[in-house]
Amino acid sequence: MRHVELTTVITTLAIALIFQLYPWSGYGITLRPDFLLVVTLYWILRAPNMCNVGVAWLAGLIVDLSTGSLLGQHALGYAFTAFLGLLYQRRLVLFNKWQLSAYVLTLLTTERFIVLILKLFADNEAPHMSYFLPILTNLILWQIMVMIFGAPTRPKHK
Amino acid sequence: MLKGVHQKLEPQESLAFFVRGPSPFSRMMFFCALSIVLMAVDARFNYLSQFRQTFIAALHPLEMLANAPSEWGMNIKNYLSSHNALLKENQALKLKEMEQQVLLQRLSTIESENTHLRSLLKGNAPIIPKAILGEIMHMGRDPFSNVIVINRGSNHGVSAGQAVVDADGVIGQVTRAYPFSSEVTLVTDKNLSIPIQIERNQLRAIAFGEGKSNTLDIPFLPTSVDIKVGDKLVTSGIDGIYPSGLAVATVTQIKQSPDAPFAKIISTPTAGVNSHSQLLILNMPQPETIHYTEEVSPTATKKAEKKQETKPSNVKAKPDASR
Repeated sequence: MRHVELTTVITTLAIALIFQLYPWSGYGITLRPDFLLVVTLYWILRAPNMCNVGVAWLAGLIVDLSTGSLLGQHALGYAFTAFLGLLYQRRLVLFNKWQLSAYVLTLLTTERFIVLILKLFADNEAPHMSYFLPILTNLILWQIMVMIFGAPTRPKHK
Repeated sequence: MLKGVHQKLEPQESLAFFVRGPSPFSRMMFFCALSIVLMAVDARFNYLSQFRQTFIAALHPLEMLANAPSEWGMNIKNYLSSHNALLKENQALKLKEMEQQVLLQRLSTIESENTHLRSLLKGNAPIIPKAILGEIMHMGRDPFSNVIVINRGSNHGVSAGQAVVDADGVIGQVTRAYPFSSEVTLVTDKNLSIPIQIERNQLRAIAFGEGKSNTLDIPFLPTSVDIKVGDKLVTSGIDGIYPSGLAVATVTQIKQSPDAPFAKIISTPTAGVNSHSQLLILNMPQPETIHYTEEVSPTATKKAEKKQETKPSNVKAKPDASR
């Protein structure tokens, strides 16, 4: 694992925020990944000294404000997912890339379910099955992050 | 000697091998509790709307930055649209305008006649709302909410509760007004209801949004009710939010079963939220001209009448819908 600069973390989070605010429409809006979630989760697993549960909570709060949903809904989902990510963060160095992907997929699915439960509590109707589609695009975005900044696992010795 | 070396070492600050501050678990518990409190406050009280507004206003520059690429794209597309196509469109629009001018002339005579007759009957002049022209910025960021965001906000005079219409009919109602933008909940939203009237026989009812299926439902009407497929629903204007006579929806399906006490009437909204980007935000004048005040305090009615006169009529309602 290479050393990570704080400026890199902040820049990627800012770019993720801009993508989050981009006016998506049509299929884009159903397929749009949760940019802020994936980038925050990546930095939490990669550099937990720079990005922690609080950052994830703040990111979730921004998502709540920008979507106009109940304040704290995504914030809770993001913070809890970040905590789950940190549970195994020390052991990630032992994972291969498939195990890592499976782990991240579990985290992303958990986040979707938490937000779904909170949505249902807030007296909203049950969404269509396409509600779960962003999990896949989130995973793709995760792989892109891994390609650019490296996986939080042990690098291969050649 | 070994003991001496040992004593020279600095005392360790933390017993933990990795210094991480509060443990992730305690952080998670803290933030989860904070979120739950926030959700409860947001759902039950109105304290957080100011915070929301301030934050959205602060986020506005970033939003503009995010919108910039699509706007450039639109500009380039506009620039490259051919001369020929523009000429054709211009021609078509001129034709349409002429047709509508003729209809509008009739409308103005009918309107003045109507006002005259109403004044003869000591009724009130029909309320003509003021309107602000706005544009759709984007659909709601949550794909499962029936919300659109428009580029007019409280700085332009928009406030929560105003009705929003387009050329084809009612779109919905402003639910949250931010300084530079506002959220409009569509009539198809589950939480929105709209008082309607059937154009054909003036039957009044209330239509409720159905949420995901993008339709409206008119519940609690008996199975024997006189509604047919294809009937037009217009606003009845008894709520003080929507002016009367605006097109809302067309009935598309009626399910009548002998064992159910009520008919299931489904209609689709006429407004083209997905096709147009321009819309009007209507500002209904406060209903001050109540008939019985005339006897009680004549000055109040006069004032209200004066106000009515100064209101410009820049809403061009569809001729067939403005009866």
